[in-house]
Amino acid sequence: MRFRAKIVDVSCLSHFSRIVNTISRLAKTCTLRLADDKLYFILSDKVANGGVSMWCELQQGNFFDEFQMEGVSAEHNDIYLEFMPENLSRALKTAQNAKTVKIKLTKKHCPCLTLAVELPSLSASSRIVTHDIPVAVIPRKLWSDFREPSVPDFDVSVYLPALKTMKSVVERMKNLSNYVIIEANRNGEMNLKIETDLVSVTTHFKELGSPPWVFDDATQSSSQDRDPETMAEARVDIRKLQQFLAGQQVNPTKAICNIVSKRIVHFLLLHEDVSLQYFIPALA
Amino acid sequence: MKCLVTGGNVKVLGKAIHSLSRIGDEVYFQPLEDGLSLRSVNLSRSAYGCFLFAPLFFQFYEYTSCSDEDQDTNESFRCKVLMKSVLNVFRSLSSLEKTVEKCRISLNPKTSRLVIQLLCKYGVVKTHNLSFQECESLQAVFSKDVCPNVLRAPARVLVDAVVHFPVTLSEVTLAPSCGGRVIFRNYLEEETDPSKMMLTEMTLNEDEFLHFQISKESEITFCLKEFRGLLSFAESSSLPVSIHFDIAGRPVVFSLEDPVLEVHFVLATLSEQEVSGSQKLARGSCTKDDTRLPPSEAAADDFLSDDIDSYMIAMETTTVEEATANGCQPPHSPTFPLKGSGRAEGSSSILLKPGGRRKDLSMLSNNKPGSESEEEEEEPGEVPGTPPNKKFRSLFFGSVLSQRDALHHTGLSEEVLAEASDVEEES
Amino acid sequence: MPFSTQSETGDDQYILVANLDNVRNLSNILKAIHFKDHATCFATKNGIKMTVENAKCMQANAFIQAGIFQEYTIKEDSVVFRINLTVLLDCLTMFGTSALPASSTALRMCYMGYGHPVTLFLEEGGVVTVCKIHTQEPEETLDFDFCSTNVINKIILQSEGLREAFAELDMTSEVLQITMSPDKPYFRLSTFGDAGSAHLDYPKDSDLMEAFHCSQTQTNRYKLSLLKPSTKALALSCKVSIRTDNRGFLSLQYMIRNEDGQICFVEYYCCPDENIDETEL
Repeated sequence: MRFRAKIVDVSCLSHFSRIVNTISRLAKTCTLRLADDKLYFILSDKVANGGVSMWCELQQGNFFDEFQMEGVSAEHNDIYLEFMPENLSRALKTAQNAKTVKIKLTKKHCPCLTLAVELPSLSASSRIVTHDIPVAVIPRKLWSDFREPSVPDFDVSVYLPALKTMKSVVERMKNLSNYVIIEANRNGEMNLKIETDLVSVTTHFKELGSPPWVFDDATQSSSQDRDPETMAEARVDIRKLQQFLAGQQVNPTKAICNIVSKRIVHFLLLHEDVSLQYFIPALA
Repeated sequence: MKCLVTGGNVKVLGKAIHSLSRIGDEVYFQPLEDGLSLRSVNLSRSAYGCFLFAPLFFQFYEYTSCSDEDQDTNESFRCKVLMKSVLNVFRSLSSLEKTVEKCRISLNPKTSRLVIQLLCKYGVVKTHNLSFQECESLQAVFSKDVCPNVLRAPARVLVDAVVHFPVTLSEVTLAPSCGGRVIFRNYLEEETDPSKMMLTEMTLNEDEFLHFQISKESEITFCLKEFRGLLSFAESSSLPVSIHFDIAGRPVVFSLEDPVLEVHFVLATLSEQEVSGSQKLARGSCTKDDTRLPPSEAAADDFLSDDIDSYMIAMETTTVEEATANGCQPPHSPTFPLKGSGRAEGSSSILLKPGGRRKDLSMLSNNKPGSESEEEEEEPGEVPGTPPNKKFRSLFFGSVLSQRDALHHTGLSEEVLAEASDVEEES
Repeated sequence: MPFSTQSETGDDQYILVANLDNVRNLSNILKAIHFKDHATCFATKNGIKMTVENAKCMQANAFIQAGIFQEYTIKEDSVVFRINLTVLLDCLTMFGTSALPASSTALRMCYMGYGHPVTLFLEEGGVVTVCKIHTQEPEETLDFDFCSTNVINKIILQSEGLREAFAELDMTSEVLQITMSPDKPYFRLSTFGDAGSAHLDYPKDSDLMEAFHCSQTQTNRYKLSLLKPSTKALALSCKVSIRTDNRGFLSLQYMIRNEDGQICFVEYYCCPDENIDETEL
């Protein structure tokens, strides 16, 4: 297994750093999958995560100037690593005005992702900072745990309202309640609701469009026959929702929310060169 | 003593206090003929900081030595004040800059108060009457001249180097090479699983330094928090930082100089044995309530054979609490492969003449670290059950007084093996 | 009017309706008295007063007069209820706290009377949040009986000069001692903490002193922990008046200019602390 990559462009570097920052706010430990053309940050829905799962996919060509990898074998040309994104985030933080950033898979005291950052200096030669981020190689027999999740058979799909507004509202609601109900209908209406002994709060978002999903075969989605007024709802742990919203640093090109009533809420954020999916299970 | 600080120097004074607050819980005020000295030492005596403000720093500086009937010598008045009390006076550096026009400090032994008065804009006057404790002279003795390695760099360069390390990191290793590079590396703490910690290394080139003299290649590991305390002051005053050091185990001296101000931070470094090559060995962290460690074999040999004057840092102050603490608390040692090395520390070791035998060392220390070390010898490399809480050897051995005397320590003892006042802060 | 789309039919049930184009004109003032969870709300035709008390010897009041509201309707002589101020503030700041000039959150506050919740409608950029906050039985509030005729000493200071100093008071001191005098030190705040004593002196001719009317030397002590929350009000205000009466009762009145330049007042009352041993000066 081998991996080496290089970033030289400052905007690519800052964009990559922002993505890693977001990931570090969503997961303490996650899986990094390296493929020929893409990088993935994956969190699978274990009980330890509260059933939350995440799938983030980047086109490597949009970030790296050089990218070479050799997976475990020719047919399985992938590398799966478990690591703490916080480490990568921290390493990238002080690299913002770097001339180059190189990333390599190395074996030090344990397998590591080594970052070598070349920084400008007052003298002729550059300053070099290296960070050895410990990783654990995930054996091939466990790769099935990290398969790409399929888009759920949702009851309702809407475009999300301004993330900034949602973030602010959910943060306040978090002070008042542990759970929040997310509901939406085909008319482009979405509500966030909390109710406790002391207070009940409902925020109404309107005129949210419906994303143009294409249903591939005869199996119509359950959402097609739905009465446009009927809300699909899911009651979720408010901290998970707040964590997801707080982690977003850049406004996505498209932000979609799919709800399977009483089962799961699926967020899909699309940027130019990266997509992020986040699943929050509904609670009873 | 009375002095008056005006203008931008008020902020400098405030910054000095902030800087010393990274070291210890008390500020020692010592007015001297050549200026006002502010000092601090940490509880484990492994870090010492001193700011000496020359009379020209002040708009007005009056120093009178008073003779105290209790003492035989004419001594300048000294006191120590709780760090957080003084820090409170200078808490907001930005407000010092914006609103404080003058700062008046006076030491009045009769009312037992250290009075710090801030004269601010709009005629507002803030008066702080701080209670203090009389104390011994806090004086570290060290000689920079004999250090084989000297580096000097603009503060900015060093700040840029340590910025890559997390704020929570305890220790950092500085490793210059004769080949013209200087490496900073984070140091892994005890009980840290190396496969969980990120290792960071920062390399600077020789040509970033104003002075680069490495006669003896070595790697020193010292407390980052305390170093950062000095760096933040250096950066704000734009003074270059000089680093004098020797081999691992010997203290490192950081200094700043300016016509009206001298700053010295002396930090203990982990000894060769303790670091043991790779960073992977777990070490205790440099916390304030650490107890003393027995010196390692190498250091013990050095101690016994070298000229004590040249490297030892002696401390002349003791308080009742500290002495009792040293006597009563059995320190824990980390994983030393202690093959056949005797160890003793604290006052008992000073009583020995150079060349004493190992057996003498261990016999002398009953409640002292030495007794621990005897157990250790049987089981080399054993990790103690309780978490070791100190790994830095104290810079400062107890005074020459025996333990009994230390408990009743009153006067300043002149009988230190390394000269005190004359050898102070050679530059 | 942002709530034109709201159904107006339910409105006649409300005994109190207050509309604000900028909710921060209410939330900011309330933050200045937010040191306890519960507050009592008194509404009359003159406006709204919110009261928070502590330890039976300290009271803070925030006044938002009717003229501040874009619409203010009250159907009874007085409306009184007790409400959780922490929850109220979380609701009022639902859309965030930063004062962006472009975005402004509008508020409509409605109350149907005893036994009903307070209903808040907040709107920003087409998004509407509805909050229903339960109310409680109002409790008696203290009457400090502070009247101008008994005032012995009074000064008015520009808040700017007091803000930082107040925020930096030595919290290890149990008391805050206030000395007001026609002679030196004129106006002095003192603390007696673990470190020693500290005095903050303002001369009567300082540029910060807007008015100085001290007829008698008075030194009174108050529990510092009770007065510390007033730092918030001080931070928001442009001027503060400090008065003590013949019983040593303290009145602090803060003049606060809201985002639209309108004036509101917050006041703090505190009884002197009797049970302190003489501490050294």
